[in-house]
Amino acid sequence: MIIKIIGSALLICATSLMGFSLAADCSKRPKVLRELQVLMQMFENEISYLSNLLAQSFERIYTSSKTDASLLFKEAAENLSLPGITADTAWEKAVENTYSKLGLNKEDKAILITFGKMLGSSDLEGQINNINLVSSQLKLQEMKAEQMRQKNEKMYKSLGVLSGLAIVVVLF
Amino acid sequence: MTNVQFEILPFLIPGIREVIQKININELNNMEEIRLRAGKPLMVFYKKNDWFVTQNGRLTRSFSEAYVVDQKEIVKTLELMSENSIYAYQDEIKSGYITLRGGHRIGLSGKVVLQEGKIRNIKDFNGLNIRIAKEVKGSAKHIIKYIIKNSSDIYNTLIVGPPQCGKTTILRDLSRMLSSGETEYDFSGMKVGIVDERSEIAACCKGVPQNDVGYRTDVLDGCPKVLGMEMLLRSMSPGIIITDEIGTHGDRDAILKVLNSGIKIIASAHGYNVTELKMRDELLSLIKSAAFERYIVLSSRNGPGTLEEVVDAGMIPVYRASS
Repeated sequence: MIIKIIGSALLICATSLMGFSLAADCSKRPKVLRELQVLMQMFENEISYLSNLLAQSFERIYTSSKTDASLLFKEAAENLSLPGITADTAWEKAVENTYSKLGLNKEDKAILITFGKMLGSSDLEGQINNINLVSSQLKLQEMKAEQMRQKNEKMYKSLGVLSGLAIVVVLF
Repeated sequence: MTNVQFEILPFLIPGIREVIQKININELNNMEEIRLRAGKPLMVFYKKNDWFVTQNGRLTRSFSEAYVVDQKEIVKTLELMSENSIYAYQDEIKSGYITLRGGHRIGLSGKVVLQEGKIRNIKDFNGLNIRIAKEVKGSAKHIIKYIIKNSSDIYNTLIVGPPQCGKTTILRDLSRMLSSGETEYDFSGMKVGIVDERSEIAACCKGVPQNDVGYRTDVLDGCPKVLGMEMLLRSMSPGIIITDEIGTHGDRDAILKVLNSGIKIIASAHGYNVTELKMRDELLSLIKSAAFERYIVLSSRNGPGTLEEVVDAGMIPVYRASS
């Protein structure tokens, strides 16, 4: 009997944990999207007021920002230091490598990759337009993600606990 | 590693880099230009001749064997050369060139975008001319003795010569020697200010001179001569001002201002001899006011930098080459 009770408690714990971690993932995406917008703003300052080179700008962004999203800029800066690599491929690789770690979905990834196509290859005005475009797109994604979060977070949490309870009831 | 391998190859798009890498090392080191034109064969300028380059890096005369450059490769190469930051090189691109580390000059051609009569940008690049810089240290060794007056003073000098006879190279070398000092002539260095309107003397890359122009040298890069001379005068307290290609409107007043402040000047001008200079108003009045104490006439008769004659302010020869 004691074993049964301990077993059920463990089961409920495990499923609730799963539910909570899924809920946490839901809140990660809007957070990263928000951070990305801030970083894009920093990037704009780097190139328009400080007129730094691309690799240098990326490096400064990830060293001065402690957010999760700066991982993307770190990877991109590392890729840029390889010989003979252009900005768009360096950025695309970085996005491919990091988007799932950052909890972003395919749509976010596509937006970021499109942004990379223009990276560094036009005059200042073009760069700033590009940054503004991606920022507004990220803003939209953030709003959608926020809605999703509100809807799903609670659901995952209660689903975790309840599914645990359901299994226990069935097994008893 | 030579400077071509080190300073130019990393900036070429992989396809073209592989071809250039296969070129014989001796030929590679003596190349003067690499030319990329959209839809045209890859060419190099080597030993006073231009050559097509084959896929295997062989120099050839036959068009059909040559590696053909695609416009995409030109655009990508330029992106690499600007370190993926075209926006940061905008001003240089507008004036038709960018400078790489090492002083290599990349000439650009493409579609020019105008706005209110001024060049706003160049886009759709269709040609790159990679001019491999060769600093010739010691190229002014045979000239400096006519310029030095005593251990701490020099003559105001105008270097005259036709295009491609090494005027700029000699100006650069003079700057290095006068600024760092020359033990051979017991000359202690002077403070030098260079107004480098066309970025050719010091070849700055992101503001840092890529050529050795001496320890005591300040460079105003890309600055118009007249404005630059005044700026240096006011703020950098130079002993000598060096500038290239004088003779346009306004130069005279700026130069006289420099001389009136007791600062020495070394400049260069296009021309085959001193008589020809007198045909140009701006220069004639400078000659009449005895602004320059030495005229050094160059030619490329025996290779670039051949000294033809040296005359003083009164047109009396100090040196004349025997012909």
